[in-house]
Amino acid sequence: MNDFHTQIGRGPLPQPLRRALLAAGLALPFAAPRSALAATAAGAAADRRILVVFEMSGGNDGLNTVVPYADDTYYRLRPNIGIRPERLRKLDDRHALNPGMAGFERLFKDGRLAIVHGCGYDQPSFSHFASMAYWHTAAPNSGEETGWVGRLADVLRPGGDAGTVINVAASQSLAVRSRQQVPVVFDDPERFVRQSRFETRALIERVQPPPSDGNPARRYLHEVAASARDASQRVRDACARYRTPIDYGLLPLDLQKVAALIDADLPARVYYVGYRNNAFDTHVHQVDLHQRLLTYTSDAISGFLRDMERIGRADDVVLMAFSEFGRRPSENANLGTDHGTAGPMFIAGKPVRGGHYGEPVNLGRRAADDNLQHTTDFRRVYATLTDSWLGVKSEGAVLRGRFEPFPVF
Amino acid sequence: MIAFTGRTGRFLILVLLLGTSGAMALGNGLAAAAQDGVDDLRPIEEVQWNAQRAAHLFERAGFGATPRDIERSLAAGARATVARLVRAQSETDSGAVAFEPSGIPDAGIDPFPEGRPQATDAAQARGEAIGVQIKPAGNRRAQPVVDKFFFWLRASALECNRIGYWWANRMLNTERPLVEKMALFWHGHFATHEDKVRDHRKMLQQVELLQRQGLGNFRELMIAVAQDPAMLAFLDAGVNVKGAPNENFAREILEMFTMGVGQYGERDIREAARAFTGWNYQGTRFHFDTNKHDNDLKTVFGREARFDGVQMIDHILAQPATADYIAGRIYRFFVREELSPATARRLGAVLRDNRYDMAPLLETIFLSRDFYSAPSVGTRIKGPVELLVSTYRRLGLASVPGLPDFNETTRALGQHLLHPPTVAGWAQGRAWITPGLLIERGNFVRDLMFPDFMAVSNDRYPLITVGAEVRFVHERISRGLDVTAATRPEGAASASEGMSMANRMVDREEDFNTRYGSYRGWQKAVEMIKPIPRTLARVDLSAMVLAGNAQTTADAVELLAQHFFNVPPGRAERTAWTAFLTQELGTERIERAQTYMEDGLRLVLHLMLSSPDYQLG
Repeated sequence: MNDFHTQIGRGPLPQPLRRALLAAGLALPFAAPRSALAATAAGAAADRRILVVFEMSGGNDGLNTVVPYADDTYYRLRPNIGIRPERLRKLDDRHALNPGMAGFERLFKDGRLAIVHGCGYDQPSFSHFASMAYWHTAAPNSGEETGWVGRLADVLRPGGDAGTVINVAASQSLAVRSRQQVPVVFDDPERFVRQSRFETRALIERVQPPPSDGNPARRYLHEVAASARDASQRVRDACARYRTPIDYGLLPLDLQKVAALIDADLPARVYYVGYRNNAFDTHVHQVDLHQRLLTYTSDAISGFLRDMERIGRADDVVLMAFSEFGRRPSENANLGTDHGTAGPMFIAGKPVRGGHYGEPVNLGRRAADDNLQHTTDFRRVYATLTDSWLGVKSEGAVLRGRFEPFPVF
Repeated sequence: MIAFTGRTGRFLILVLLLGTSGAMALGNGLAAAAQDGVDDLRPIEEVQWNAQRAAHLFERAGFGATPRDIERSLAAGARATVARLVRAQSETDSGAVAFEPSGIPDAGIDPFPEGRPQATDAAQARGEAIGVQIKPAGNRRAQPVVDKFFFWLRASALECNRIGYWWANRMLNTERPLVEKMALFWHGHFATHEDKVRDHRKMLQQVELLQRQGLGNFRELMIAVAQDPAMLAFLDAGVNVKGAPNENFAREILEMFTMGVGQYGERDIREAARAFTGWNYQGTRFHFDTNKHDNDLKTVFGREARFDGVQMIDHILAQPATADYIAGRIYRFFVREELSPATARRLGAVLRDNRYDMAPLLETIFLSRDFYSAPSVGTRIKGPVELLVSTYRRLGLASVPGLPDFNETTRALGQHLLHPPTVAGWAQGRAWITPGLLIERGNFVRDLMFPDFMAVSNDRYPLITVGAEVRFVHERISRGLDVTAATRPEGAASASEGMSMANRMVDREEDFNTRYGSYRGWQKAVEMIKPIPRTLARVDLSAMVLAGNAQTTADAVELLAQHFFNVPPGRAERTAWTAFLTQELGTERIERAQTYMEDGLRLVLHLMLSSPDYQLG
């Protein structure tokens, strides 16, 4: 399965027809209304397809998220922090959701939530940074420098247009780092604009090409300045105009910003957001805290998908949620859990065929270090999204190997 | 006549020292002269020492050169200048003032509960928690405990912002810039975050530790940090006990602090964790609990022994990878990100050969031909704290302005002191810059040149996520509403169907009200904390331009570029700025415009410092 190609750089381009359609639909100016040409062309619907990646940083405790409540081993390993069956939101006779996840429960019952079990990779790292980097680059135990979303963007828009990927974050994620593109990265849309007095308005946005003095940091700064100039006004206008009656819960986790940009028809194909600051790193007294984190996550994601329905984009938008590792199946002495291996991933949205995918982890078969053995290479989920949802063959440039997609779409 | 004093006056000297054309050749001139110094760790010759190299040294080893720094360093020579920076302990420092605490009462606070549920559970079980008893009767009997819980969190966060100001002022005024720069480096290296530590006392102690020992011996520093209450709290060391080791602490020591990823196995971590069992803190002091220490044999890096924590640190420092890693981290922070493995090993050897004393390593780096070679000069993207402090230094400010707020600005730029984003600290270099962050950097200059003098600062006015809730509760309580009515969530929808899970959960408790406690905590915290003076920067660009003897608008732009930039901005930019300034002043002649030119100069400086090139140091 891990059939790595050693090729570096750009992989196979999309099929010629697709490429032509992309060019026709997307060579338009950034905020222009969609042209009749693109709308009538076959495959135009695929061009409107959007992927939202939601990162749950810190190592989400998968076993207390999707709980194998029928398995006695679960309660044996977690005598204090195991969630009693009567508190759980049961999905079927094997699995239940954390009590905080009312939103996910509704999505599952509506057939709009795919749970992919046991996601991980060989020779797992227990370091947040190393493991997150492996998920970001989709290249575990390697020194890969670009992110899988960045490489995906290079294939989606080989020209390197700005704005294929939008990353709402305080600083750019490794996942979106690309050789060709400068992704749009911003945090607060109201601040994503150059403040200036009227006298300087005309000059403040002017970006000169950098002098060719061989200073790479300088060239980079000038490129980012150009990207900032192109994107800032559009993002700000879209967010300022946006109003929604939908309740996203206490922490919208940047998904309202994504909804605003989708509503404004920005040409981004991938949005990258997340629950920040290692929030899911629940080493100590985790029960209340973890439930709260899941409530915020589940509220925000289900609110976002309802909002897509409201603006008529539910057929075009799919969200995937992941974390850099799961946690150890046995609770620790402090009513928390330590860094582990496999965990569930989620794919949600109207186009999704809901249900369980992948083999649930076997709690009885743990490695010598008490950790779970993963059953699904996480890149199969990436491949599901790139190949089956966005219509990009991931085998070459994006994932550098063949990974079997799940029949989620 | 325009009077000028202090640093503005010294600006004249800098211009004279650099010469009118000399300074603009700073980047390019060095590039031509020292192209082949890459990876050459031999010291530069004294005859090569000049104002440009001194400016580069003070940019990297401090927060930008003042004219006085340049003047003194040229008189002293390269070796003496570097020695003075590196062996700063003997220097007196009028800028090193001590922090003035607000005097937040802390009786009963230790040990501070993990969260609000633990505080109220303890109160209900014992009738008391965090030094507050529950009421014997009546409604919301545990409310005073909840109020105090939130008071402490809020007061601690506000005090940490005052600590940030205090530290920034030391960076601005210090006579020993490398002490503060090194402390800033270690703060990113040994990252701890107030949101988890939740104790301004511990955070202050840690900053003081980094200032005191940051230039000393790495072994001593590592031990001090590993026994530092802020670090112990941040890494959950207190729960690492015999029989149930918690690996977090050992993992970060190996991965982040000493060796780097890939130099150890998972088994080494599990075994090393046992050596640190029993390490804990009590209040603001290190505490070793012998009963919880695992004194059995541990095997780490193939050696078996009854390691205790300090012996474990010594064992880690004895690994060859450790000195290479530490030296490499220091080099990447001060010089550039590309470091050849061979140079890393040579720098590691300097550290090892000197038993982890840092002064010889820093001296080697700052005198090396590599440090002054083209790829090392003007190629580093300044971090947000460096950007603000060096801008203030160049403006000749005596203190960090209260507006724009230092903490808010640096937070928006990605470097809030005492709040590094993760245990890995701050990613350096290009990670500082995104389209959004580059715009923020320009906006900071706007806020400095034309401050929002009507702003109500967020140490008064709750702005963050829960702030809206606090304001809302305050308004209703002030109107005389009861606690239940005042704290009922401002729902987006009234029917439970459309209402999120999080909003439905609030108000279920009966013994206390969390939202009210949060509100009272904020109110009390604002009462207790000394306010940050909201002074504006007193900028006098006119005096600078006159002192530099600029005749024309082109001279003025050239002068400002020399004074503020480490890399000369492009010709096209300078031409555009000059044309703009001429238009604003209505003349090319500075002499004609000198009675009114301040606003025009500020506008043009906003343009200049918003440019990509200003971010380089």
